[in-house]
Amino acid sequence: MKAFQKNLQKLEAADTQVLGVSMDSAFANKAFADSIGVTFPLLSDWGGDITRQYGVYVDKYNAARRINFLIGKDGTILAEQLDSAAIDPTKIVDACERKKLNR
Amino acid sequence: MKQRSVLTVLGAWLLVAALLSPPLSQQLRAENNPSAPVKLKIGDQAPDFKLKYFDGSDLKDVSLSQYRGKKNVVLAFYIFAFTGG
Repeated sequence: MKAFQKNLQKLEAADTQVLGVSMDSAFANKAFADSIGVTFPLLSDWGGDITRQYGVYVDKYNAARRINFLIGKDGTILAEQLDSAAIDPTKIVDACERKKLNR
Repeated sequence: MKQRSVLTVLGAWLLVAALLSPPLSQQLRAENNPSAPVKLKIGDQAPDFKLKYFDGSDLKDVSLSQYRGKKNVVLAFYIFAFTGG
């Protein structure tokens, strides 16, 4: 999440909203956001319905996988990054900026 | 003599256990599961959602559809609060 915060200005400049999602409570997420200086919303999927709907629920630890989805303005998925690759947002930033240039 | 047979039985058990359990590397691989496919593919429609976050004073709703036609959205699923990444 910190890595996204670092790139937030670039992403916002490319018309992109960053949303974190986890199965923690909204209040735990706010405390987490404050502790690492994240200013974008960290959404609470309490119960995991959306995590399951997106197919990223992991039974083993009752939580989501580390995954980024880049969703375009038309609601389609433009890019995905899984697990350790999801920690570095460079590719997502590049994809957003490229998209902006092509428009 | 008695001690020796205990050791033999113990040794045999350990051997059986070692043969039955998968190698550690395989277990680790299954846990990390780097190649496990994701249900949603590039080009698929992202399911709409409505989730809450706490902005410091109120619980606010956020839905995917509110950004439609306006902004791209990066949806970053993470495992737990207070973990890295």
